[in-house]
Amino acid sequence: MTILLRRSLLAASIAVTALTAGAVGPVWAQSKEVIMQDPGGAYGEALREVMFDPFEKETGIKVVTVQEARSGPRIKAQVEAGRTEWDQVFIFDQETKLLGDCCLEQIDYSKLDESAQKTLASMPENLRRPNGVALQVIGIGLAFNTEKFDGDAAPQNWADFWNIEKFPGNRCLPAWPRFVFEAALMADGVAKEDLYPVDMERALKKIAEIKPHVSKWWTTSAQAPQLLLDGEADMCMAYTGRINSLVMNEGAPVDLNWNQGFVYYDFFSIPKGAPNMENSLKLLSWRLDAERAAELTTQYPVALPSPLVFEAADPEVSRLWANNPENLAKAVEWSPEFWGAPSPDGRSTNEEYGQEKLNALLAQ
Amino acid sequence: MSVAAADYAPPATPFSERLKNPAWLLVPAAVFLAFIYLLPVIDLVRISMSGSTPWVHFERVFAVPLYWEALVRTMQISLTVAFLCLVFGYPTALLIHRSRGITQMLIATAIILPYFIAILIRTYAWMVLLGRNGPINKLLQWLGILDEPAQLLFNRGSVLLGMTAVLLPLMVLSIYSSVSRLDPGLTRAAQASGAGPIATFWRVLLPLTAPGMGAGFLLVFVTALGFFITPTLLGGPGDQMFAMHITQQADFVSSEGFLQALAVVLLVITLVVVAVAGRFLGFEFIWGGGKLTEVHDEPKDSVDGTTVNTAPRRTFAMIVADAIGWPILRVLSALPGWTGTLTVRAMGGFVIAALIVPIIVVMIISFSKASFLTFPPPGWSFRWYEKFFTDSQWIAAFTSSLTIAVISSAMAVTLGGCAAMGIVRSTIKGKTILMLLLVSPVIVPPVVLGLSLYSLFLRFDLVGTIGGLAAAHAIGGLPIVVVIVAAALQGVDTRLEQAASVHGASPLTVFRTVTLPAIAPGLAAAAFFAFLHSFDELVLSLFLSSANLQTLPLRLWADVNYQLNPVLAVVSTLEVLLVVGGIILSRPVLARSRAA
Repeated sequence: MTILLRRSLLAASIAVTALTAGAVGPVWAQSKEVIMQDPGGAYGEALREVMFDPFEKETGIKVVTVQEARSGPRIKAQVEAGRTEWDQVFIFDQETKLLGDCCLEQIDYSKLDESAQKTLASMPENLRRPNGVALQVIGIGLAFNTEKFDGDAAPQNWADFWNIEKFPGNRCLPAWPRFVFEAALMADGVAKEDLYPVDMERALKKIAEIKPHVSKWWTTSAQAPQLLLDGEADMCMAYTGRINSLVMNEGAPVDLNWNQGFVYYDFFSIPKGAPNMENSLKLLSWRLDAERAAELTTQYPVALPSPLVFEAADPEVSRLWANNPENLAKAVEWSPEFWGAPSPDGRSTNEEYGQEKLNALLAQ
Repeated sequence: MSVAAADYAPPATPFSERLKNPAWLLVPAAVFLAFIYLLPVIDLVRISMSGSTPWVHFERVFAVPLYWEALVRTMQISLTVAFLCLVFGYPTALLIHRSRGITQMLIATAIILPYFIAILIRTYAWMVLLGRNGPINKLLQWLGILDEPAQLLFNRGSVLLGMTAVLLPLMVLSIYSSVSRLDPGLTRAAQASGAGPIATFWRVLLPLTAPGMGAGFLLVFVTALGFFITPTLLGGPGDQMFAMHITQQADFVSSEGFLQALAVVLLVITLVVVAVAGRFLGFEFIWGGGKLTEVHDEPKDSVDGTTVNTAPRRTFAMIVADAIGWPILRVLSALPGWTGTLTVRAMGGFVIAALIVPIIVVMIISFSKASFLTFPPPGWSFRWYEKFFTDSQWIAAFTSSLTIAVISSAMAVTLGGCAAMGIVRSTIKGKTILMLLLVSPVIVPPVVLGLSLYSLFLRFDLVGTIGGLAAAHAIGGLPIVVVIVAAALQGVDTRLEQAASVHGASPLTVFRTVTLPAIAPGLAAAAFFAFLHSFDELVLSLFLSSANLQTLPLRLWADVNYQLNPVLAVVSTLEVLLVVGGIILSRPVLARSRAA
């Protein structure tokens, strides 16, 4: 009787040992590294090549990247449990406020090196906040297949996007309320200055019109370019970075129109209790160097919003940036404040409220 | 109770005593599951009720028609998928059973092979197959059936097709397990008594394989309820399933509580479905119809009412089925005899094609020159192979997946093997409930489990540890082991064990010389499936991994989301080669154990 009991106890103790050994592991491992959220894809590769590998070589600090599109909820869970894993993350504009008090460290900008200070000084105040600094300008625009629509036949604005008769073909749109609601309102004749606060009911009514022609409501950034290249869609709302890198590096038959596009900033923050705070600040310094930031955009045209970086960059490359003054002038000043504000029913944010409404429409 | 046995072996610990009281073997598994499975789920329920009132988050779930409608839709899709799997899975299982030698091995491989390949890859393969420029559209145009490419993707049909293809192996293996247990003498006896092939099918084969069909149907249905990868990639906006809402809500900072409420609703619905099905069919259906209480002929064994009730109920069901099904089959019997065989072969062949063609397409794409997945490839190159082998992150992910899967499999086999011994060889009350608890992780949607484990892992600093991830994977591996080993144990004649012990063998010797050899193939299969479960596990890992610990499925998921390049195809090609190699290597072992 006892032999079998002993065997199973032994097994159990092996299991327990395995558990605890695993648990102890990462505690020793944290010395010469910094853990960084990574956008992945072609952008992630460009970052690795231009930013992270040289950083490792120079400082001996290993940059460990983790691919995650949206880190907000995880930061909150980690910080509240007192187990922060990440040293640097990028979050949405409104999240620097939503997460500001609970979960984000105040960045000590005085600890950054000289070249970084210079870049910071050139940036608008709103883009260098106590708990986050904007390191990438993200653009959303109207992308289309140039084999299908070319020259004069290319779509010019969201009204054209909604015009199925003049521009026949399938569409693709993100499955989110942000950007899509605004585009629908502009297609419905609302001037870009009068978009906010967004009239959600009106937007939804307009979205219902285009819905039968939308082949896919995409959820990740790689999907829109893929749909365009595969011919599943001829016209899409898409991230400008990936579309431009396809144009720039692969000569793919796609192009985009910046008119009535959207520009927003990703803020880089340090979660409270970050395990490698010092290294995180070093990496931030590294990335804020204007020359290096400009070099990054030759690989992937997503830029740091500073005039110094713009001056350092080749005009051939910077014409593809979302924050190129020419493109900015055509774009809409997107309002993260509106989407982060409490919703009409008081249960959540406008973004979540709009998402529910949009999902309900799409599910019909 | 042990008085009679004690007469034979009075001095040592009586073997019969151990035989009748091995319930303690259940303790390790029970402790493990209580800590890593029940506790987090209870915590999940607590958080879901932590709003201003306990019901505030649930009110929102049911106040917004979106969520209610998604629930109904999820049920409809899951039911349809389970039905399709049954219709196509049954002939396939028969086909495996009836073929012999190399043919049987090839067909079985075609069914098992997709099991090794991540759901993600198989789903993506279907995207390529059904795409506007994919092989199916090209073929239809070439045949002149279509003038221009049709929109085959992003609709209900593609979701049903994809999910059915992904879940078919589960159904086929479920049915096959009961088909293979059939005594071939029964069909021969039926035919010798003058029954035609149709009567043999209806009166002998179908009733005897019904448990396998029921189990397969239930497992497919319940698994489909928690699906989100396949509907996300293949579906349109009208195909939102409930688990997709949970992953979508996980993106919002302010949704704590509501997120857990959604998960609790999905969990409750799943449990209600299983409870209702179990009430009518008996819970044994979940683990493949093996009746625990009727194996040994000890009178005290029939403990629960379920098994006692099944016999008359099934008879009643048979009367109804006979009234409807029999006349139809009579009409069918007018057809020549070979049509039955042909139908089985045609449907089975179709299933095999549906499972294998996507894999072949993916293998071809791995040699593509293009940086996006398109078929046929515009040119050929090895650039994606080079990329995989020179990328330290891919290799690291592969190594950690392998390590985690080995540890997880060892944990599951140890805990599950003991538990199976405990449940089969003990006479304790409430076996059905115990078995239900041990097997229940199979029916809990992975999204729900992952979400609930995340806070536990944070508290005990287990996030991103090899041990933690292996333990989490073992939650799902354990039921697999319990079911397989329990089935193997039931096949061992307890009188052999008693005989050995009567002749003076110690319990260990009995186990080593009688029990272990008999259940060795079962144990090996259990270890293998537990390994696989861990190796391909994605959803739990999504919640529980960290920057320092990436598994292979996680890397694949990241790639599908952020850069759809043919490295995905390279990984799956390598996986296929690995599996084929594994099967070839293990064939001598399997053959030997079968002979023994």
